Amino acid sequence: MVMRTIGEGGLSEWRDDHGRLHPHYAGVASALEQLGPEVLAERWQAGRRQVARDGFTFYLDPREYRTTPIDMLPRVIPAEHWARISAGVAQRLRAINQFVGALYGDGQDVVPNDVVYSCDYYLPEAEGFRPPRDVWVHIYGIDLVHMGDGQYYILEDNLRVPSGITYQMKTVEIAARQLPEFAEGYNIAPYDVRQTYLDLFRSVAPDAGPDGPVAVILTDGKFGSAFFEHRYLSDLLGAPLVEGSDLYVGHDGRVYARTVDGDVAVDVVYRRIQDLEIFVPGLRDAYFNGKVTLINSVGAEVSDDKLVFLWVPEMIRRYLGEEPILEQAPSHNLLDPEERRYAHEHLEQLVIKSRRGYGGIGVYVMPDLGEETHAQVRALILSKPDEFIAQETLDFSTHVVYDEEAEQLEPRYVDLRVFAVQDGEGRVTVFPGGLTRVARAGSRVTNNSSGGLCKPTWVLT
Amino acid sequence: MQTDMGPDLDEQVVASYLYAARYEYSQAVLNNDNQLRVFPRDGEGQEALPHELWTEPACRVLPYADRFGNAVKRVRVVEHHTRLVVATAGRVRLSARAPSVTAASLEAARDAPERLEYASATVLVDPAPLTELAAELVGDAAELSEAVRAVTDWVHGNIRYLRGTTDTSTTAAQVLEAGEGVCQDMAHLSLGILRAGGLPCRYASGLLTDQVGETHAWVEFLHPQAGWLASDPTRGIMLPPASDYVKLGVGLDYTDVWPIHGTFLSKGAAAHLAAIADVRFGEHQFGMADALALLADAHVVPR
Repeated sequence: MVMRTIGEGGLSEWRDDHGRLHPHYAGVASALEQLGPEVLAERWQAGRRQVARDGFTFYLDPREYRTTPIDMLPRVIPAEHWARISAGVAQRLRAINQFVGALYGDGQDVVPNDVVYSCDYYLPEAEGFRPPRDVWVHIYGIDLVHMGDGQYYILEDNLRVPSGITYQMKTVEIAARQLPEFAEGYNIAPYDVRQTYLDLFRSVAPDAGPDGPVAVILTDGKFGSAFFEHRYLSDLLGAPLVEGSDLYVGHDGRVYARTVDGDVAVDVVYRRIQDLEIFVPGLRDAYFNGKVTLINSVGAEVSDDKLVFLWVPEMIRRYLGEEPILEQAPSHNLLDPEERRYAHEHLEQLVIKSRRGYGGIGVYVMPDLGEETHAQVRALILSKPDEFIAQETLDFSTHVVYDEEAEQLEPRYVDLRVFAVQDGEGRVTVFPGGLTRVARAGSRVTNNSSGGLCKPTWVLT
Repeated sequence: MQTDMGPDLDEQVVASYLYAARYEYSQAVLNNDNQLRVFPRDGEGQEALPHELWTEPACRVLPYADRFGNAVKRVRVVEHHTRLVVATAGRVRLSARAPSVTAASLEAARDAPERLEYASATVLVDPAPLTELAAELVGDAAELSEAVRAVTDWVHGNIRYLRGTTDTSTTAAQVLEAGEGVCQDMAHLSLGILRAGGLPCRYASGLLTDQVGETHAWVEFLHPQAGWLASDPTRGIMLPPASDYVKLGVGLDYTDVWPIHGTFLSKGAAAHLAAIADVRFGEHQFGMADALALLADAHVVPR
């Protein structure tokens, strides 16, 4: 694979190899032209003010108030690209859900036990448990990169507490408010997060009455990085935002939320935290006893393990009898001596990821790192190969961000986190668009935790 | 058949072992998730016979193998507890014959494909600062055994056995600097010197036979024809017979063979560990009661 650095003609979603604008950006480009640098500068500043005013935050350091940096120039995904992405994401979600069910149910032989049992997220206490409607993974986030010609490759799966759906919504909302001119002449695919989530809650709640289930959002508090999302979802869904200390398990085994109007029995806990037992003792048992539904289920996190990722294509073949629709980044299991040797010999061109990492933590994009780091990472994969995987570095797409001070467009690497919901009726909804995350200049790491920008993302109908 | 008389040099011997560990916590532990590497390896002069494992509180046991082929059992206790006891007992059949090896050139030993990992730096063993010492000890050796013997004798003669001055995070270079340590430290320093000399070698962990005590550590070097062979710098013994040990784990350094390693979730921070083993020649049925009795007398060390 030939590595191209940014600015030397890497695959651009904005212009083709001959420097011609891709046709689906004609409208956006002409709006840019007509508005001109002065108006754009005003709008960009107004956009930033709105981000601040609306409390659209993503914290990197809990001690520091930080607004989410956004770039309002939209990314446009053609309908035929989306058809493929959407089908591929839904397929993957179904396969992973079936794998998790088999893992804790009748057993599975897709992923070796040496891998599953050494995974911190495998929970023996979930063995034999069946979640309502057999849904383990309700809300799913998947990280994709565009390799050109509508080929999107999967970098990783997020099942623990995937965050970002409201960042996707809010970025689009602010850009639409500040720059309505961009959308003129475009038919953008709509989606309804509120209705989809409420349908989900209703379909997996234990015996909700005629008024529907009582759902709460369980947050790690206002200093958590994605607190904005917790609050936004609470408003959107009419679901109280609670911290661990607001919940308790009653003598009847049900979960109650303390509210100003008294204690309320809860049917669904959309949990945005990991260590449930610390924050709400007994919550996990209430779930195992069918008294409450946890979204996502405990135990499903096994598939967040970067090593388990290697077997997802096999899960698709085995459980769905289908070929995977989306490719995943070619990856190497360092427990295999041959692959370990390969990784050692080709380290300069690989991405090394910690099995347990998330949000860009424990990710080493070797081509972007200096020699000293190379030596450290080499020592890591030789001495602890069971804690890492290696992936080929993909030469994925760049987009452009508008720099209103320089009055120019600048290329940056972008990825796409797509969100999907699987409900108890067997439906999978993949929300059109996704969250486009923009890497910092010169970097390929796009996670919000790494300080990049968000970009509005449209799917054309 | 041997009973309590010790190993016969021409025979295989059976050894029975008991390993027990106890953790105590100042407040309730909500879950306690540990990987155990306290089960005999199979092969290299040792045959693993059946064993048993007890935990208190009881829990589901997940068996698997790590990349070194060490038998691992993950035990995850989700019942709330303030004390965790882990005990395992079993038997092994051991060769009582000291291995004899043919001469092998240093070049051949260094050429092994295993060198990539087994002669590289690890968390606790960085060969780089030991290059000079390696040149002195390994450099002039006529062949492999002589080199390993020189390293083993040097560490045995120059590092004073002393408890309490090092811990599980002490590096090979620190051991050299301090000039003292326990078996684990002597093994790490030996590995560092051998690796600085380009020789593939690994850390071995287990129990010393015919005694009550803690886990022991020694090294194994890779012989081009004979495979992995033992050398024990703490005892100053080169090529000890397999019957000296119940071998539980091998790895690049101690961090690959922690006997018990994991995490627990509790508001209480303090935990204390007592760990002890009893290994006797012959058939002996150890049980949980023996484990508790053994632990009652065991030395207590901070976790």
